[in-house]
Formats: sequence, structure tokens, C-alpha cells
Amino acid sequence: MPPTRIPTTIAVGFDGSPDAVRALAWAAGLAATTGARLVVIHAVGLLEHAGIAGRSTAHREAVLGTAAGAGLGPERVEWSVADGDPCSVLLRATEGPDPADLLVVGSRGAGGHPGSVLGSTSLELAERVRTPLVIVPEGHPVTVP
Amino acid sequence: MLILAGPTGGGDEHHGAPHHPERPARIGAVMAGVEDLRLGEELVTLEAPPAPVDDLARVHRLPYLDEMESFCARGGGDLDPDTYARPGSWEAARRAAGAGLAAAAALRAHGDGVGLVVARPPGHHAEADRAMGFCLLNNVAVTAASLTAVGERVLIVDWDVHHGNGTQSIFWDDPRVLYVSTHQWPLFPGTGRAVEVGGVTALGLTVNVPLPAGATGDVVRQAVDHVAGPVVDRFAPDWVLVSCGFDAHRDDPLGELALSSGDFARLATDVAGYAPGPGRVLLFLEGGYDLAALRTSTAATLGALLGGGDRPEEPTSGGPGGDQVRATALRRDRAVHVAGESAPMDL
Repeated sequence: MPPTRIPTTIAVGFDGSPDAVRALAWAAGLAATTGARLVVIHAVGLLEHAGIAGRSTAHREAVLGTAAGAGLGPERVEWSVADGDPCSVLLRATEGPDPADLLVVGSRGAGGHPGSVLGSTSLELAERVRTPLVIVPEGHPVTVP
Repeated sequence: MLILAGPTGGGDEHHGAPHHPERPARIGAVMAGVEDLRLGEELVTLEAPPAPVDDLARVHRLPYLDEMESFCARGGGDLDPDTYARPGSWEAARRAAGAGLAAAAALRAHGDGVGLVVARPPGHHAEADRAMGFCLLNNVAVTAASLTAVGERVLIVDWDVHHGNGTQSIFWDDPRVLYVSTHQWPLFPGTGRAVEVGGVTALGLTVNVPLPAGATGDVVRQAVDHVAGPVVDRFAPDWVLVSCGFDAHRDDPLGELALSSGDFARLATDVAGYAPGPGRVLLFLEGGYDLAALRTSTAATLGALLGGGDRPEEPTSGGPGGDQVRATALRRDRAVHVAGESAPMDL
């Protein structure tokens, strides 16, 4: 088994929900502490593409503000918008030529239903992802790790 | 003869928020397009029975099916930002899948005609164990798997504006199914690159032609003919199933391709030419969210396949993407070659 190493690229899923903000703050704090790059990923679905759901551009400033609050400057934050459902988009962030080596998500996100894997991005990721995954639980205080 | 399975999904059994584009009224629009053709005795309508679980389980994992059924029974909810389930959605989805099975059986029995599945929720985004993109069960895949189970070879042509990630992933390693998709790129669901060509046991049997926004009908037909055509000829399908999304129409709110209903008519004629004989072409409603475009596109497509001429909009041409189609052919060939070189020697 390879030795555990400090992550150099941390990806965090962001859909604008309170749990996503909490996950972002936790991930930004970890990145600030370890020197990692933070990639904030927003999945654009069918409705958002059509302008029927909220636009991701509304999130960008909030993301940078939250990261700054955790001590992470904008030069270390990458805002990434990708087409797809949240689970698939986040899985793709852990694959390919420049993969994240740690993935962070909130426990529920904008959807989610107690007692069901369906509708829960975090539980689906836990079943599928091959990269270490941190699920920041609902109600977790937003503090630097 | 048109063998129509359904309509199903046009009531309140599966509906989202009032603004949601994947709505029951889509079924009424498609049926209006069918009625415009005044087929009389040339229209055979079938019930859409719920698909048996054994048929669903050929393409979906049993724990997923159990979870979806119980999720709906508990009242349902949002599955992701796009996709919803309601108490009646499980039954609706099973009927949408069952409609395809009924249509294929009827086509086989008649030995003639064209099949059309008028059902929702749509299916081509649904994966083996995941609902997404408005889709709960993969209707076209369920029927394709039922055909391969009795030894048939199946071509699936997917001209929806979105890539059919679910269908692709389900048959990724299946040498009995050839999957061909033309779709806007980049766009949801983020899959469907030219270099996605199938797994080691079905190398080259996934054909993706991503197209830029604004691509017109001539470009899509070129993609099917130049890129997919040689593969289809070698594959020699017994059946042609079409993931018939009309959201590639220029008026659709969810995509930016620029097809007219007349383009769908020409595409349908082209694709039907891949069938080995009569009674082997079956269309499945996928996307399409502008009700007027749904109606005219349905009428134009069926009119072309049935020998009629209802084509209210002229075919389109001159849009971007021709160069991309030619590049896709090269990139595909290279990807197949590279994957073949790296495949295990005993395959």
C-alpha cells in the first residue's frame, strides 16, 4: 500500500446549498493549511443549461468569498463548471490527466432524502469513487480543519 | 402500417414542477403529430403493459430497481437537480419500458410496419443503477436487451440533442449492440466524445459524433452516413431502434442544434435504410420539449417512414460542423486502433 500523502489538488462539489457551503469552507481550510490547489466544481444539468434553474455564475463570487474566509486566496481557487449530473461530474474530476487526489462534498446537497441512496450525491460517490472522499456532515461547524 | 405502443405517461402519474419541460403534455403533442397523418386502418395501437422485472434486470441492477420502487412508494422526490420521481413514477417508467417490448413483439408478429413508442419518462440517460437526465429506466436498452437475448443484433441510433450516456454505458462491452449517437457538444451529460468507442469486447461498436451548436440537418446526416455508415454495414443489424429525441429541433429550449422537422424526415429515411427488411424499425420518444416542434417532427418523421409526405418544414443546411464530422472519423479510427493494440492478446 502506498504511503498516505498530503493532497495537492482538492476538488469540492458546489451546488449553492448550505451543506455545499460547509463542505467548501472545510475544503478551503484544508487547502490553506496544506498548500493544495482547490478546484470548486459545479455541475450544470439540463434545466440550468436551459435557464430554467439558477445559473452557476451566481455562485462564483460566493465561492471566492467563502474560500477567502477560510484563508485561501483566489490564486489558489479554480472555479470549474461542467456539463452533467453532479455525481458523474465529480467522478470525472478524480480521473483523467490531472485528477484531484481528494474529493470533498456536503452530506446532502440540494437534493437528498433520508434513508435513500437515491438523490444523494455523497452516498453515490461513496459507492463509486476511487479517490479518498470526505463527506462533511450536515450541521458540522464551519471551521478550518 | 404504424404500430404505436402507448400512449403512456400523458396523465398525472409522472409530473414535476409546473415549469419542468419533461411534462405530460409532450405525449399529447406527439399524438397530435400522429393524428395529423390520418392513418386510419394503417394505425395499430397497443397497450403499454408494465415491463416484467426480469426484462428490466437485463439492463438495470436489481438493488436499483428495488430502491426506485420503494422510493416512489414512499412518495418520491427529486433525484438530482433535473430528475424527479413521484408515487406514480415507478408504474409509469415500467409502462414506458414495457411499451417497447410490446412494440417489438408486434413488429415481429406482423413482419411489417414501423414501430413507435409514445411513452414517458424518457430513458436514454438512465444507467444500470442510476436515474438522471429526466430518465428512470432505459426504455430503448430494455427492448434491445430483450432482442439480443434471443440472438438478434441491434443497432441503436440516438439523434437526441443530448448524448445517451446510459445506453452507451449499458452496452459498452456488448458485441451484439451497435450504439450510434449524434449530439451537441459540449452539453449535458458531458459524455459522448469521438474517442469513446466501446469496451475491449465491443471495440468500435460505440460511435459518437459530437456536433457544435448550430449544426444543421445536412451535417447530422453526413455524420450518420460517413462516420456510422461503414460500421453499420459491417455490423449488419437485425433491428434498428431509434432513440428519437426531437430536442435537436431548432426551436427546442434545451439544445442549440438547428434541425427542422424536415431534417428528421430525411434522417429517419436514412436510418431505416439500415434495417434488413420490413418490420424492423422501432422509434422511442426521448427528448423534445417544444410542443409545436414535437408535433411537426413526429408527423414529418412518420410520414417519411410510412411513405407519406407530411413535411411542413424544409430540411436545413449550411450550419457548422462538417469539418468536425470528418475529424471525428479520423479520431475514432485512431482510438479504435490504439485500444485494439493495448487489448489483452487472448481477446
